[in-house]
Amino acid sequence: MNASVWPNAGVANKPAVTEDALKIFTTLLLASVALIGGAGLSFGADKTEISVARFFGACEADYGNVTDVNKGYGECGIITAMMNKFNAESPDTHVKVDIVEWPGYDQLTARIRSGEPPTISVMHESVISDYQSRGLLEPLDDGLKAVGIVASDFTAAAKAGVIKDGKIFALPFDTHTWLWHINLNLFKQAGLIDSAGGAILPKSANELLAQAKQFKEKTGKPYFIMVLANETAAYTRTFDTLLYQQGADFFADPNKVKFASPEGKTALTLLKTLYDNGDITKNEDYSATVSGFAAGEGGVMINGTWLVNDYVVEAKKPGVPLSNGYAVAPFPQLYANPKVWADGHSWVILKANLTDAQRKSAYSFLKFLWDNDFQWARTGHLPASQKVIDSADFKALPFRSVLAPLSVNGTALPAAVRHQFGVQDIEGEEVASAMRGDKTIDAALADMEDRVNKLLQSK
Amino acid sequence: MTDAATLGAAPPRTSAKGVRNGPDWRNGLFILPFLLVYVGLLVYPLFWGMWISLLTYDMFDKSAIFSGLDNFRNLFSDTIFLGAVRNTFVFVLLTVPTFVVIGLALALALNRESRNAAVLRAVFFGASVLSVTIVTIIWKIMYLPGRGLISVVLGLFGIAPISFLTTSSLALPAIAAATVWWIIGLPMMLFLAALQQIPGELYEAAVLDNASRWRTLRSITLPSITRTFVVVVIYEIVAQFQLFGQALLLTQGGPNNTSRPIVLFIYETGFRDWNLGYAAAASEVLFLLMAIAAMAQYVASRRGEAR
Amino acid sequence: MALAQHMVGRSLGDRVILGAVVALAALWIAPVAWVVIVSFKPNSELMMSTASALHPPYTLKNYTDVAATSGVFHWFLNSIIVAGGATTATLILASLAGYGFARTDFPFRNVLFVLVLLGLAVPEQALIIARHQLFTDWKLHNTYIALILPGLSNAFGVFLMTQYFRSIPKDIDEAAMLDNASRFKIFWRVLLPLTIPAQATLGIFTFLTYWNDYLWPLISATRPEMFTLTVGIASTQTNFAQSEGLGFLMAQAVFAGLPVFIVYLFFQRYIVQAVAGAAIR
Repeated sequence: MNASVWPNAGVANKPAVTEDALKIFTTLLLASVALIGGAGLSFGADKTEISVARFFGACEADYGNVTDVNKGYGECGIITAMMNKFNAESPDTHVKVDIVEWPGYDQLTARIRSGEPPTISVMHESVISDYQSRGLLEPLDDGLKAVGIVASDFTAAAKAGVIKDGKIFALPFDTHTWLWHINLNLFKQAGLIDSAGGAILPKSANELLAQAKQFKEKTGKPYFIMVLANETAAYTRTFDTLLYQQGADFFADPNKVKFASPEGKTALTLLKTLYDNGDITKNEDYSATVSGFAAGEGGVMINGTWLVNDYVVEAKKPGVPLSNGYAVAPFPQLYANPKVWADGHSWVILKANLTDAQRKSAYSFLKFLWDNDFQWARTGHLPASQKVIDSADFKALPFRSVLAPLSVNGTALPAAVRHQFGVQDIEGEEVASAMRGDKTIDAALADMEDRVNKLLQSK
Repeated sequence: MTDAATLGAAPPRTSAKGVRNGPDWRNGLFILPFLLVYVGLLVYPLFWGMWISLLTYDMFDKSAIFSGLDNFRNLFSDTIFLGAVRNTFVFVLLTVPTFVVIGLALALALNRESRNAAVLRAVFFGASVLSVTIVTIIWKIMYLPGRGLISVVLGLFGIAPISFLTTSSLALPAIAAATVWWIIGLPMMLFLAALQQIPGELYEAAVLDNASRWRTLRSITLPSITRTFVVVVIYEIVAQFQLFGQALLLTQGGPNNTSRPIVLFIYETGFRDWNLGYAAAASEVLFLLMAIAAMAQYVASRRGEAR
Repeated sequence: MALAQHMVGRSLGDRVILGAVVALAALWIAPVAWVVIVSFKPNSELMMSTASALHPPYTLKNYTDVAATSGVFHWFLNSIIVAGGATTATLILASLAGYGFARTDFPFRNVLFVLVLLGLAVPEQALIIARHQLFTDWKLHNTYIALILPGLSNAFGVFLMTQYFRSIPKDIDEAAMLDNASRFKIFWRVLLPLTIPAQATLGIFTFLTYWNDYLWPLISATRPEMFTLTVGIASTQTNFAQSEGLGFLMAQAVFAGLPVFIVYLFFQRYIVQAVAGAAIR
C-alpha cells in the first residue's frame, strides 16, 4: 500500500491560479520587504535625518528640484524650494518632509499617541496651547538663543502667539489675516472707484448693502465671492471679524463662549441679508472661489493673505479679467473698530527622545526658516520677524504698506481657548446653516453656543 | 446559514493504528493558531470595547474614570448623534430598495448567454473592485459645483449648477447615488446566480400558456428567488449601516449634520476628538441597531415563508 | 401561430430592455470616462473651467508628474505587502482550522465552532476602538503587522474552509488512515490539495478586502510612508489639490485604480465568484 493509492478524484479542476499565486505572493512579499528595507538604509548614513510635517500643499511636480527660493511662488512653491535648498546646502542634516492635508492635527495627534511624532511640525498659533498644555511641545528658548534668535526679534503679534506661560513654544513664521481681494476693473464698471483710482470701500454695514446693490445693478455680478462649500474656516473668520469689529468679547471666559448676543445677531443678519440679496456667489468651494475671482465672477473675494502673491502675478497678465485691476485691502471697518481675524503659522518641536545630533539639526533648520522669513512673506503673509517688517525690501513688495496696520489690528482668540479648530468647525457649520436658511439666526446662535461649550467641557 | 452552524457528528472512530480515535486535544492544535488570533483580536477587543464604553477616557494620560451609563445617556441627548442615527436609517432606506430593484432588474435583463450580456455585466460589476477612496474621487468630480461633470452637463442645457454635496436635502441622496453606482454589481450577481437555479421547464410551461412577461415574473421568477431576496436585503442592510468612507470624503458629514452616518460619528469622536469612551459607546449602539435590523428582517422573511 | 407571435412580441420587448440596459451602462461608464478625460487636461485650464475637458489641448504632463513625484507607487507597494501577507496568513490559518473543525475531534469542538461562528455577526466598528488601543499599548502602529493582524480574526475564512472540508468524501481520509499516516500528513498531503477552489475563492476575497480597506489603515498607518493605497489616495483629496491640481489628482486616481481593474478584467470570473459566493454565506 503506498501513497499513489490515495485518490484525488471527485474534486473540481483546480484553477492554476492558486498554488502558483501563493508562491508568487510569498516571493513578492519577501522581495518587497527586502526592497523597502534596503531603500530605508540607502540614505546617507552620515547626515542626521529629521522629519518635518507641514501642509501648504504638494507641488513636487513643479518645484521638486528647485533650490532657488526666488523662483518659488505661492505657499507651496516657496516652502518646497526652501526645504530643497536646505537639504542641498546643509552639511549635516537631511530633512524628510511629511506633507499632510490641512490642517493635519488629527494626524499629528495620532502620531504622538503612537509614540512616533515628527521631529518638527508646522502649527497654527491658535492651536499651540492645546498641545503645550499637555506637555507635548519642547520649550525653545535656550535652543533658539543658541542659534541667535530671541523673543525681541518677533513682532508683537508673533510674540503673543508663541509665548505661553512665559516660555517660547514655537518659532513664529508669519501672521496671516483676512482680506478683501478687489477686482478694480469691475469696481470701475460699478462706479465704485475714487479719484485716485482706488476702490471705494464701505464704512458701515448699510453702506455695504447699498454698494453691493449698486455693484449688482451696474455689472450684473454679485459683489462678493465667498467660500460657501466644503469648508468651515471661511465662515468662521468672517463671522469672528464682524464680532471683533463690534467689540463683542465673546470669549471673555475662555471656557465658555457667548454667541447669542445682539452683536452675534447683527453679524449673522448682515451675512444672511447679503446671501438672500444674491450679493454672494452661491455654492462655491475654495478652489472655485480662487479661480472664480481670477475669472472675474465678482467684485470682492474674501480670503486670506496667502493669495496676494498669486493675484499680483495674475494681474500682470494681459487680457484677463484681472489685468491691471487687482487691489487688496484689510477687511474694512464696518463697525466700531478695525479689528480683523488673524492667526499665524509657526514651527514646533515635538517632545520626544531626540538625540543631541537630531536636536542640533532641528534648531539649524529652524534658524534657516527664520533667516528666510522675507522669502515667506512674498506669499502675502505678514512676516513674524520685526526686522523684516521694518525692512525696505518688505515695504517694496506690492500692497504691503496697505496691509501693515494688520500687524496691530489682527486679532486672535484668547490663547487660553482650547480646541480652536473644533470651535471653528462648529461656528462655521452653524453660520452656514443660518445663511442658507436651514435654521433661524437665533437657533443657529444658540446651537453654536451650546455645541462649542460642550466641546470645551470635554478634555 | 443556520443549518451550517452545526458540525454534525464527530468523525468515525476507526480502529486504525497511527491515528488516535475520539476526541484528542492534540487535534485542537489545528485550530489553535486561528483561535489565538480570534481570541486576541476579536473576542478580547469586543469585551474590552464594552468596558471602555463605560469609562470616561483621557487621551493622553490614559486615566480612565468609571462612569457607568453616562456615555450612553449623553449619546441619547446628543443632537449630532441622534442625527447620525437618523441619517444612517434614511441611508439604508434609500439604498437597499434601490439595490434590490435595480439589481434584480439588471439580473433579469442580463440573464442570457450572449457576449453583449457578458460585457454589460462586466461593466456593472467592475465598479465594485475599486476602493472607496477612488470612488469618492470619481464622484467628487461629478458633484463639484460648477466644475463637476453634472454641472458641466447641466450647463450645456443652460441650467445653473447645483451643489449636491452642500445642499441639506441633497447631500445624503448624493452619497446614496454614488454608493449604488459603486456596488450594484454584487446584488446583480447574487440575483443572477439565483435566477440560473430556476428550472427551465417552468419558463417553457409559461410560454406555452401564453403568459405575459409580467405574469411570468410575478408567478414564477419572484417566488423562486425568495431566499436570495432575503439574503440580499439582509446583507445590504448590514453593509450600508456601516457607511463611512463616502461620507467622510464627500461631505464630512455636512451640511448641517445631514449626511453624517454613525460610523463617521464614531471616527470623529474617537480619533479626532479622542473621546474614546464616548466613541466606544456609540459603536455599541451601532452594533445593537445592526443586530436588531438584521434580526427583524430575518424574522419578517421567515414569517413570509411560513405564509 | 400564437406562439410565434408571442415570441416575436417578446423579441421586441427584449430589444427595448436591452436598449435600456445599454443606456444605463453608458451612464455607469460616464463618471470613469470623465475622470480619464480630465486627467489628460493641463491643471491651469481646469482651474478655470472643467468644461474645457471636452476639447483639446490635451497633455500627458499629469501622468509624467504622477510617475515622477507621486507617492502612489509607495502606497501601492504597501498595499501589496499588506494584502499579500494577509491573504497568505488567512489561507494558512483558515485551512488548518477548517480541517481541524471538519475532520478531527477534540474536546469542546462543537462549542468552539459555534463561538467562532458568532464572530461573523460582530461588525468591525464594535472592535475598532479597543483594537486601536491595543496596538497603541504594544507600540505597534505604523507597521505591517498592525495592518495585517486584525483582519485575520475574521471567522469567514474558517467557516468557508470548514464547509469545504466537510464536503470532501470521508473515504479519502479513511484510505489514508489505513496507511498509518498522522493527522497532519493527511491534512497536508491529501485533503489540502483538494480544497484549491475554496482557497482560490477565499484568497481572492481576502485580498480584495484588504486591498480596499480604509477605516483601519486610516487610524493605524498615520505616517505617510506607511500609507496604503486607499489612505494615500484619500489624503490627496484636499481643497488645495482640487484647486490647483485637479488633473494631477485624476491621473493619480487612474494610476491607483488601473491595476485592480486590469486584474479584474482578466480574472473576472473568479473574482465575481469569490465576492458573490462570500456574500451568500
